[in-house]
Amino acid sequence: MEESAGENAPPLIIEPRATEPRATEPRATEPLTIDGHWAFDYTYFAGAAASRFFAELAARRIMGSRCPQCERVLVPARGFCDACFVETTDWVQVSPHGTLETFTILTTSFPGLPEPPLVVGYVALEGASTAVLNFVDGIDLTDPDAAGAVLLRRPRVTARFTGACEGRITDFVFTLDDPA
Amino acid sequence: MRPVYLHGSAVSTTWRDASRSLTDLIFDCVSAALREAGLRAADLGAIVLAAHDLVDGRGLTSMVTAPAAAAYLRDETRLGDDGALAFVLGDARVRSGSVDTCLVAAWGRASEGPVDEISHALFDPFTARPLALTEIAVSGLRAARCLGDYPGYDRCRGAAAARRGARPADPARTPAAAWPLRAAELPVWADVVAATVLSSSPGPVRVAGVGMSTEPYDLGDRDLTGLPALRAASAQALAAGGAHAAGVDILELDGLTLFDEALAAEAVGAVARGEGMALLASGDRVNPGGGYAAGYCAPAMGLVRIAGAAARLCEAATARTTALATGSSVVAAQVQAAVLLEGA
Repeated sequence: MEESAGENAPPLIIEPRATEPRATEPRATEPLTIDGHWAFDYTYFAGAAASRFFAELAARRIMGSRCPQCERVLVPARGFCDACFVETTDWVQVSPHGTLETFTILTTSFPGLPEPPLVVGYVALEGASTAVLNFVDGIDLTDPDAAGAVLLRRPRVTARFTGACEGRITDFVFTLDDPA
Repeated sequence: MRPVYLHGSAVSTTWRDASRSLTDLIFDCVSAALREAGLRAADLGAIVLAAHDLVDGRGLTSMVTAPAAAAYLRDETRLGDDGALAFVLGDARVRSGSVDTCLVAAWGRASEGPVDEISHALFDPFTARPLALTEIAVSGLRAARCLGDYPGYDRCRGAAAARRGARPADPARTPAAAWPLRAAELPVWADVVAATVLSSSPGPVRVAGVGMSTEPYDLGDRDLTGLPALRAASAQALAAGGAHAAGVDILELDGLTLFDEALAAEAVGAVARGEGMALLASGDRVNPGGGYAAGYCAPAMGLVRIAGAAARLCEAATARTTALATGSSVVAAQVQAAVLLEGA
């Protein structure tokens, strides 16, 4: 048993159990492990606001919803403003142009998703009060440090719709306005 | 309202110990906390548990695990949230006078499940899951923003990480990186159980104040580096105890990565914005036991930090010494809790 993670880790408070079993216990039993797997199918309901947001994406428009109280334009559009706790009212198309606020380069692989490395980032689109997450495409990731240094400068980006839009967040990606 | 004291605590940090089941680990740790408090299970008025079904790989996990936490035929509450929030609820039970003693326990066993996949499954299926988001990815987003905004972070990150000591060689214990995070800045997965015993009877550590706060779900609507929920929670705890962050002697701050700990130090007011990494690099005021690198698994870590703070207070053995401990929930530290402790 490995008892601690680092040399500065606090000592274990729990003592390992005695190796000698009591007379009433079976001796030298191999610890049992079994495999488990969860695989359930869910149907998630997007609701009215998100359904319209994704339908607008299929039409190659990025839409936000405006809070009547704080007047923020929330992107992706949603049915209520959680800061003011009121229903949103107006729908507003925001610009596909914006600034990469922050990003990370992912190296984890998930079934059904593009193979890493992947750049994912939050972009503040013109006309929006919140940032929206998506992949940032077209970055040379041969040298992640070099790529990261470019992206840390908060470059201008544009949302580009790719292929057949089907009303999903992956209908668009961000690309750098100045790839150099 | 009655005063509340922390009488006993225990933390168990192991990895893939095939000789003990999850319920064995919980039973052993809770037993140790009760022993330290000088109490028996029969003395407990209430029990509050923090566990997560996805982490445990068991539906309604506390149905399986609650009896190992002394809940049999007792007043028990289950949270699917961080252990620090369970502690705040336990404090409320005792402070309000509804019970005299309360056990709080939290756990997570990283070695039993695929941590990255579990983390990915926690995110919104419409806007985040298709983009491969995980908890570590969110920490990567925060870290990149820090490096862009605060020059001191890059300058001090090496020295800060070096203070956390050697890491286990087993690659299963370190998550896949998310640039700009480096291996030494990532959590060390572990099987973690924490337990504390609260009582209205005077004890070695007094709970001087608590606070909680929640941020929006959508990360694009959040101040990723300002951690406003942690600012609010710690401000509540400090105000309740009549303390100021600058005067708090001991800081035990929950953070998934080195950058998260640095940002937490800023959010609780220990240092100004942009100075958190320098604080971690300069001394042992924050998480001298290793923090994220000493073994990590949600949702136990807030309670681990509280137990660590209590232990440091008892070591100090000086009345009026204060400690601030924090805990953050999945997803992406949306909910924060802070607890101010004082040597009694």
